[in-house]
Amino acid sequence: MAYTKEEAVGRAREDLAGRLGVTGAEVAEESVEETDFPNTALGAPVRDEMSGMMISSGWRIRLAAGGKTYEYRADRNQLRLCDYKGANHKI
Amino acid sequence: MHRRNYTLHLTLAAALVVLAAAAGRIERWEWKRGADAPGGGVGRVVVSTTEAPAAPRAAEESEEGFDSEAEVLVRFKPGVSDERMAEIAASLGDRVEDEIESVEGLASIDDLDDEEAAEVAAEYAALPEVEYAEPNFRVSVGPLESHSIRERFVSRLPLGAPNDPLFAEQWGLVNTGQREGRAEADISALAAWQKTQGSKKVVVAVLDSGIDYRHPDLAGNMWHRPADLEMYFDEQLGIVDDYDGFSALGEVRDPMDENGHGTHCAGIVGAEGDNNLGVAGVNWKVEIMPLKFMGRGGFGSTKDAIEAINYVIARKKDGVNVRVISASWGSQSRSRALEDVIRKAGEADILFVAAAGNDGADADRRPHYPSGYKLPNVISVAALDRKDQLASFSNYGAKGVHLAAPGKEILSTWLNGAYEEHSGTSMATPFVAGVAGLVLSVDQNLSVAELRERLFGTVDKLDALRGKIVTGGRVNAARAVGAVQIK
Repeated sequence: MAYTKEEAVGRAREDLAGRLGVTGAEVAEESVEETDFPNTALGAPVRDEMSGMMISSGWRIRLAAGGKTYEYRADRNQLRLCDYKGANHKI
Repeated sequence: MHRRNYTLHLTLAAALVVLAAAAGRIERWEWKRGADAPGGGVGRVVVSTTEAPAAPRAAEESEEGFDSEAEVLVRFKPGVSDERMAEIAASLGDRVEDEIESVEGLASIDDLDDEEAAEVAAEYAALPEVEYAEPNFRVSVGPLESHSIRERFVSRLPLGAPNDPLFAEQWGLVNTGQREGRAEADISALAAWQKTQGSKKVVVAVLDSGIDYRHPDLAGNMWHRPADLEMYFDEQLGIVDDYDGFSALGEVRDPMDENGHGTHCAGIVGAEGDNNLGVAGVNWKVEIMPLKFMGRGGFGSTKDAIEAINYVIARKKDGVNVRVISASWGSQSRSRALEDVIRKAGEADILFVAAAGNDGADADRRPHYPSGYKLPNVISVAALDRKDQLASFSNYGAKGVHLAAPGKEILSTWLNGAYEEHSGTSMATPFVAGVAGLVLSVDQNLSVAELRERLFGTVDKLDALRGKIVTGGRVNAARAVGAVQIK
């Protein structure tokens, strides 16, 4: 699906709430910034994944829940959760 | 007419055609910096496919264009000094606006008393010290780009440049110092093109997110399965109609690009050159084989990459002259299977050119693959900026990264007939793959080892790369094809 920034943030909140087993209201938006990532996997490749080595613009979304911060990365075509339980995840 | 003069007339006429083409198209170019993407890192050019009238326009028509336009291009005869040119211009109530250094005696004249350009040209043409004089074409563009574009088209681009209207933005091919770059920090494409502009007999595979094979600037250089070659058959995949190339994804296996990355890389290898449209590739003519293993998001699996490489090897054995795979992708995951299939490609005489990676790191310590495989057919490519400095994002490695190429702010083809500017070792890689294609167009019997050695042995050594990468240099197309003697 194609994401706008708002849709990406909403989907990230939803994903994190589901993973943590909390309500959406318990997930706080810490920050959302536009930034460049080193490749088309937004610098967060999953196992055995290859990606284009092109600097890619996207959003770094930081969400907080239960006293911890979680980082999502998104662009128009994808949403990823970084370094969650030791691995990156495509949402 | 003296033959030399005839040639010069042809040359100037060609230059005027470029200007006319530009006049017809530039008004329809629209730069969008960050307008449609987060981060603002993308320069996008949308080119309309409709032609605009190319007729000269009066100065007062566009206040946003050039308000002081040179009306006439005058070629003075040999021996006429700069001072004398100025005297002649002053005697006619004009001034020499600019001298066009690449053509001796050629100057643009600014008519200060607003006569018709044709009349001014006629006045000059009648003078004994003038070879010829012709009206200039007006190029009307927005205020931000107007001066620079005019400068690029009229006085900076050397003779021999293709007529592609966006060529002046392609610093990696010819760096005139545009946008604060360093003149000659490029791959010496112009000199290479004096010897070869590529060949339709050479096939370069772009293994990526597919290619928009209908892009007007690429369509003429796309590979298609020859009529005498049967559709591809694979035990697992069955029969695959590979007329437009191969896709490891989807049911239909159509290599159409949905991301843009592969289309951008393809344009660097071989957007049609001198076709009055968009950009020029390193090869003006070549056959580009689209191979798709990354989808809309720009990522794909190792398995699908292997599948596509396997396809290339099979087609090579079927007689397709595919000699180069351009691979602008990678990861830090090492796959022995991927390494093995790339080795097999080498045994089939196929060069594998790969991006060194964008972590800004020493790849000898933090390896990146497939560029990091120590195979005799692999070339790992770092990226340079327009000042011949290693791009801040580019990986390097004194043992494992072989050479460098332009890779920052590179303008090339994009989806839906558009053109975009992007950065990455992804962009540097097809420059090297393209130069390999150029070399093969003149030395088609070179083995992979010889081809690789040719590319390594003809780089321009750069201080910025000394001790950073294996060759310490930037790929040089002119030296690689033998258009310039190696010192």
